[in-house]
Amino acid sequence: MNTQPPKRALKFLRWFCREDYLEEFEGDLIELFEKQYESSPAKAKLKFFWGVLRCFRPSFIRSFKIFKNSNTFFMFKTHYKIAWRNLRRQPFFTMLNTLGLSVGMAGALLIGLYIHYELSYDKMFADADRIYRANIDNRTSGERSIYASVSGPLANVLREDFPHAEMVTRFQHIDGMLIKSAEAEENVKEEKMVAVDETFFAMFGIPLLSGNEATALKEKNSIVLTEEAAQKHFAPNEALGKELVLNNDETYLVTGVIEKLPSNSFLANHSAFISLSSLDGADSPAWNNWNFPTFVKLSSSDREPDLQSFLSGVTENYLVPWAMQFVPGLTLENWREQQEISGNYLSFNAIALTDIHLHSPNMKGEFNLNGDLKDIYILSFIGSFLLLLACVNFMNLATAKSLKRSKEVGIRKTLGSKRGNLISQFLTESSLVVFLSMLVALMLVGLVLPHFNQFSGKQIVMPWGSLTFWLLMMVCTLVLGIVAGSYPALMLSRFSPLKSLRNASEGSAENGRIRNSLVVFQFIISVFLIASTLVVYEQLKYIQNKDLGFEKEQVLVLNNVDALKEKSKTLKGEVLRISAVKNVSVSSFLPTPSDRNGATFFKKEDMSPESAIIIGNWRVDHDYIETLGLELLAGRSFDKRLATDSSAIILNESAVKLLGLTPEQAIGLELTDDFKRPDQENMRLITVIGVIKNFHFESMRNSIDAMSLKLGSDAQRMMVKFAPSDFNESIARIERLWDELAPGQPFEYYFMDDAFSSVYEAENKLGRIFMLFTILSVIVACLGLFGLAAFNAEKRAKEIGIRKVLGAGVLHLTSSLTLDFLKLVGLAILVSLPLAGYFMNLWLNDFSYRVSIPWWIYLVSALLAIGISIVTVSFQSAKAAMSNPVNALKSG
Amino acid sequence: MNEHSLGEFEELVLLLVAAHNQEAYGVMILELLEQKLERKLNISAVHVALKRMEKKGFVESSYGGITNERGGRRKKYYSITSLGKKVLDQQYQVRTSIYKQIPNLSFGQ
Repeated sequence: MNTQPPKRALKFLRWFCREDYLEEFEGDLIELFEKQYESSPAKAKLKFFWGVLRCFRPSFIRSFKIFKNSNTFFMFKTHYKIAWRNLRRQPFFTMLNTLGLSVGMAGALLIGLYIHYELSYDKMFADADRIYRANIDNRTSGERSIYASVSGPLANVLREDFPHAEMVTRFQHIDGMLIKSAEAEENVKEEKMVAVDETFFAMFGIPLLSGNEATALKEKNSIVLTEEAAQKHFAPNEALGKELVLNNDETYLVTGVIEKLPSNSFLANHSAFISLSSLDGADSPAWNNWNFPTFVKLSSSDREPDLQSFLSGVTENYLVPWAMQFVPGLTLENWREQQEISGNYLSFNAIALTDIHLHSPNMKGEFNLNGDLKDIYILSFIGSFLLLLACVNFMNLATAKSLKRSKEVGIRKTLGSKRGNLISQFLTESSLVVFLSMLVALMLVGLVLPHFNQFSGKQIVMPWGSLTFWLLMMVCTLVLGIVAGSYPALMLSRFSPLKSLRNASEGSAENGRIRNSLVVFQFIISVFLIASTLVVYEQLKYIQNKDLGFEKEQVLVLNNVDALKEKSKTLKGEVLRISAVKNVSVSSFLPTPSDRNGATFFKKEDMSPESAIIIGNWRVDHDYIETLGLELLAGRSFDKRLATDSSAIILNESAVKLLGLTPEQAIGLELTDDFKRPDQENMRLITVIGVIKNFHFESMRNSIDAMSLKLGSDAQRMMVKFAPSDFNESIARIERLWDELAPGQPFEYYFMDDAFSSVYEAENKLGRIFMLFTILSVIVACLGLFGLAAFNAEKRAKEIGIRKVLGAGVLHLTSSLTLDFLKLVGLAILVSLPLAGYFMNLWLNDFSYRVSIPWWIYLVSALLAIGISIVTVSFQSAKAAMSNPVNALKSG
Repeated sequence: MNEHSLGEFEELVLLLVAAHNQEAYGVMILELLEQKLERKLNISAVHVALKRMEKKGFVESSYGGITNERGGRRKKYYSITSLGKKVLDQQYQVRTSIYKQIPNLSFGQ
């Protein structure tokens, strides 16, 4: 036979296989190999390899000499065995240890996963490292705003004049739309939509499931849907080439289907993309329309400085020359001069795609809400604290047990054990506990993660399949085992055999001090977290109950009213006839998240550019002020009988302040937004007829911006103000009216106060996360205290016995045992509360409207900490105090 | 688990060893099994079953002579022990006694 089985496989088999099995297995494998070889040599080899691999199992492996005779291996085996015995002999302490560690580890792991998720934003896009987004940083009239979207023409300028731009992609924000297929009656609302040009897919490396990447978004009226959105209208895989009707108006052709976009990307939740060319004004040369988020891919990320310097020149090289066409007499020189005098500026810059989520503030025109780096820091602190707490627990319990183990150490040393052996014995023990805790922690996290996702609003998955994750877990286990075990190991192994055998408890005073300071440390952290949680909740309560300047209660908001077109007036009339309805107003602009629009105004008598004011400009109807219960400080509301009110405007306090006037002075003031007109005599004038008190329409993190109300008709939303009553019946009636007037349109409504709470979602989430981890850390600290109390009671059993015999009462004994611990907790409180006060003040300073930390928060946190520790400790103390003294005195 | 337990696959192998007493060896058992079961098996599955049963004392083994085949490796022949036979009989009895209790079922379409 010249056919030889693969040598390496054979060698491997001979290496591992038991000698008494080897000849048989080898023979069988070779026989099979020879038989197979005749028909297919390649297959035969493969099968031989596979056969050898399948033999590689414990029962067939020979016992290796290196293991058999190695002292290290034996030592490890005994260490392991003795560790198990020790753990099993004291199930109570083992349980406390494992429980404390696993709760701490689970918390830290959860935080780790959360942070990893936050840090992973936008990194999945191909070339993410060299994609940048252009921003505008603008200051007008003392008001600074940063925009995530820029002027339309910038994209072309980058393409043509910036040599390092490989690709430029431009978006335009559009509202969510009603979508239905051409045949269907029923509309479906897609909340998050955006218009984008055809380079979209190439820019971000987004693959199309069907459709052509190069042309999908080229033509007018093309739409690309996510698979999920497409399946609302079409059978799977049938969407391509079908027609959709958007907002009951325009017909779009489905030219592509993509997968759902990752939840950790700036495009998260966006479900439909229409071609930018479909929108009017997409090619307008106007530089004053900042509606276009613009992304640029550089030839290399080293070119970022070039991009920044190019963008910083855009205002003077492109924007001002464009503005010269409309503003007579404007030159680059007097532009610069004006900017300098007024302190205003307008500059372009760029931010790396991967920095958007965590390293930039929430700008105007973001796709999604950004995260906050500060939260990440706070959370990593809490996570490390939790781990630290858990380790401290472990050390505490281990040193507390040291008395019991000192005899063991003494005997071992007498029998010739070296210090190194003892250390590795104790480290094996701690690693074993840490390993068990890690398993429990992983299970806990697996169970809790879905709920955690729900309340943190993230979509974190457990990376069960990731090798890195498991390696990391193993490294963590080892490191934690060593960290938690190092102190007890070093301390215990130091015992001198003579003293420990003579039953003198060595160094117990020092140990006691260390144990005590560890308890103090734990409670410092716990009390800090308790106080912080209370402050966060107090601020949330303040925000949500603060007088907002408008009435958010009992206001129902109907969406998509524009779908009714002219019939919306009919609906308004009909709804007003329902007896429970007090007022109805139609507008796109609400104090809760909705459309926002700004406009530039000049005073009629002063048209110089530096006196321009940019203020919010909301288009509303006549009943707006009444429906929301806004308070007029001067002047009057819009009047239906006065036709001239179409050119009237109502300002808020901030706007009046910006103009440098009092509310009374402002009435009758004439403004214009018509400054581009060359013939200034026929300029459209707007008269101020009223001033309203400021009301909150942004998060309380910001102060109230200047804004104005003007009559207008484009209205998406209808607000219905109810009289206090049971309005379910009325809502049902409105729905019937809706179905009559707008068959097939989805009836969508929400209550304004619900929408209002969603503004503070981020704060709410932070509050809930704080709460969760505070509870976890308190649990860990309590477990430690519980164990210590149990140990303490055990140690002093004899003393208690003697005291009892001499006539001490149970109550007296219990309180004296408990008091020892309360002193420590008290010390912790004294250290912790000032710290909490300081850091929470820092956090609160972020809010324009904030509470000052009330004194009772300190009191409540202190009482809570004391209460919890009394409950924890007194149980053990009482148990010790009530035990029969005979038992304690009889033994030993 | 009693110590005379016999898995399904083990039982099949044991039956084949019994049927070809003194002549059965790894590859042969594998081929017969593949024939009867009409599916592909790996030789190590057979080895595992044989070694387990050897440990339990259901089969015993002895080396054959050196031949030119198998690259000069001896074959290991298996034969059933009296304990193995007893377990097999027991298993068979249990099965048939239960099988007999099945009423006359008909599965008309």
